[in-house]
Amino acid sequence: MGRRWHTIRVVRLLLVVIVAAGLAPLASTALGAENTAFDLAGNPVDPLKSAGGKIVVLVFVRTDCPVSNRYAPTIQKLSDEHAAKVAFWLVYPSAVESAEVIRKHVREYGYKIPALRDPRHVLVKQSQVEITPEVAVFGIDRRLVYHGRIDNLYESVGRTRSVATTHELEDAISAALGGKSLPGDATHGVGCYISDLE
Amino acid sequence: MKPASETLSGFFIILALASGGVAARRAAATRQSAGKPATAQAQVTFNRDIAPIVFRNCAGCHHPGEAGPFPLLTYVDVKTHGRQIALVTRKRLMPPWLPEPGQLKFADELRLSDEEIRTIQAWVDQGEIEGNPADLPRQPAFTTGWQLGKPDVIVRAAKPYLLLAGGSDSYWNFVFRTPVRRSQWLRAIEIRPGDKRLVHHANVLVDREQSGRRLEKAPGAGFGGMELVIESEAFDPDSHFLFWKPGSPPYVEPDGMALRLDRNTDLVLNTHFQPSGKPELVQPTLGLYFTDKPGTRHPILLQLDNDRMLDIPPGERTFLVSDDFILPVDASVLAIYPHAHYLGRDLLALATLPDGTKKTLIHIGNWDLNWQAVYRYEQPVDLPAGTTISMRFTYDNSAENIRNPNQPPKRVVAGNRASDEMAHLWLQVLPHESGDATLDPRIQIQEALALHHLQNNPEDFEAHYNLAALLQRKGELSGALLQFREAVRIRPDDPTANNALGAVLLAGGQIDGAIPHLNTALKGRPDYFDAHYNLGNALAAQGDFAGALAHFQAAVRLHPQDANAEANLGSALAETGNLKEARLHFARALEIDPKNELARENLEQLNRDSHDHPN
Repeated sequence: MGRRWHTIRVVRLLLVVIVAAGLAPLASTALGAENTAFDLAGNPVDPLKSAGGKIVVLVFVRTDCPVSNRYAPTIQKLSDEHAAKVAFWLVYPSAVESAEVIRKHVREYGYKIPALRDPRHVLVKQSQVEITPEVAVFGIDRRLVYHGRIDNLYESVGRTRSVATTHELEDAISAALGGKSLPGDATHGVGCYISDLE
Repeated sequence: MKPASETLSGFFIILALASGGVAARRAAATRQSAGKPATAQAQVTFNRDIAPIVFRNCAGCHHPGEAGPFPLLTYVDVKTHGRQIALVTRKRLMPPWLPEPGQLKFADELRLSDEEIRTIQAWVDQGEIEGNPADLPRQPAFTTGWQLGKPDVIVRAAKPYLLLAGGSDSYWNFVFRTPVRRSQWLRAIEIRPGDKRLVHHANVLVDREQSGRRLEKAPGAGFGGMELVIESEAFDPDSHFLFWKPGSPPYVEPDGMALRLDRNTDLVLNTHFQPSGKPELVQPTLGLYFTDKPGTRHPILLQLDNDRMLDIPPGERTFLVSDDFILPVDASVLAIYPHAHYLGRDLLALATLPDGTKKTLIHIGNWDLNWQAVYRYEQPVDLPAGTTISMRFTYDNSAENIRNPNQPPKRVVAGNRASDEMAHLWLQVLPHESGDATLDPRIQIQEALALHHLQNNPEDFEAHYNLAALLQRKGELSGALLQFREAVRIRPDDPTANNALGAVLLAGGQIDGAIPHLNTALKGRPDYFDAHYNLGNALAAQGDFAGALAHFQAAVRLHPQDANAEANLGSALAETGNLKEARLHFARALEIDPKNELARENLEQLNRDSHDHPN
């Protein structure tokens, strides 16, 4: 119990620092880290640089979003199917979800995909996503090929199809493998607003 | 030796309602006045304006251990879902409350006012200001564990159910053996369905005839299925809604409306799960709360439906299913539960009084199976005899209905699977006492309902069966015979109907006619006590005491506490010359029921015989 309390206090402190960082560039420097996402050990990671010639899919989720949670089997399955040519990453844009909480989440939902924390929304901005769950697909040339919903299982919060009838993420992966972009505007996902985390 | 004579008639069958939820109730929060009007200029703060709304309407489910996927108890909790909250309240997806506001008020209505929704939106638009800490109301206090305190008895599902990580919704039934040794009165059942985030709703069915057990592959294994048919006693029909849905505290029956639980009563928990994304083991428990105040007022569940009309062509956007039932007695409606599956769109129930006055009993303009519930009226709705209760349900079988389980759409008819449809409206009604003590208003309603269902569908098995049981009770045996024959014609192998038909034939002295039906009943259900008992009697009446003996032995094995079965076993033993054992069974019958006449007379006869002819 005591340990849990401690975690929350640390997290709150971090929030304050981030607000300060937004106001004064000096504070950011004081933190000693450039704008980046982190792995669960706290090391800066740029998933696009470590792709090694693969297409990159970033999947934006949060631990307490029931909609993104429900997609876990779908996401893991797609990652397994395309493992040879596509690198999947889970991205947690919450500044308050600790690495420990995320590790537990990854384990419980059976994810085998590496997880990143993106508390400063570096990847969120780069991927132009707004919702969990949404995905961003980057081509081998690191160009953003697709961003938006995974499929159309959810029409809106509380309105679900029995099965999805369109599969945007799969289509985007196929297009990227063929060196193409998807035509038309992306459809946003249904779920939880990332901006609520700011 | 006096021949065994009593016959057991069958049981009444009621298509029990299966998937349901209880009317939602507000959190036990301090009742603050809702947020002040949010004019364009006024600054909305969390502490003053938002917290009272959230505490009263959201926190009941959104606190740790409850169904809400995240807590909504603090400023940070609410802020980290602020835009989402504004969206789902604006769309009235949250809090989940389906009925349109109307003249009749439901207890524990969970509906935000337009004003409250505007206030939340304004707060988000203004940047989610926390405000003055002094304005923050006290956080609601929640009971952890059993909401009604320690139950008198706790029963746990014998085996957990494995809910898969993905896929579509699933429906599972747990059969709870109740541990009562004698009949007791229940004032409440608290349902703890396991992880509440997984359960859309759950509903307890009182199973006096162990219908649920017969569907289990192994004892305690449970069984799948969205809708159930449970047999119930002829004149003690289902009468209570026992539902759970997220955020709903257990319902305590008012004094005099307790529910009877007998020694062999099972409780079947019908549960609707939604996958969470990870595999989950679910093992529900029930808490039983007894009372020494017996049930003296007897409500009844009245079912309107029209399954024959349910034949929806693909692409049809507004398909109407209606039913109209004329109430034969004065009654009060206590609660209402409309039920359709995924194609249901607009669900309306009306009452037209004899003077022409119309009352909207419930109107759901945007039906959502996932948030179905039982709605209890704040005040009972009194309806005089002659009132027409109308069901008007509209279905959308087009591809545009995103919940349509068939894409592309196909023809859909009535059925119990999620891909079938249903048009059911249940009302819990309390018939008013009639001046005539010989007229039980519940029976009048049952009979009117059976006739009504037969009018809708002459092939309605349950209606034929129920009408027969009612006629039999009134002593109209020829009418009963006719209706039981119809039931058996529709379902030739049905054990219950065959036993009942056999029993009526037997009672009318048509032994030869009765025996094949009793044999059919036992073929379908070898451990059917009533059929063994009745067949024993039939064979005894033909003088086949050796044949009768075997069936009475089976009956006693199945129901060791049944004095009549023991007495009849004794008679069959005596007839086959086994006087010593016969004596033991007569004694056993009298031990169970000292007033058992057959056993007493036969034992006296034995004593006289042994006196006259000592060995």
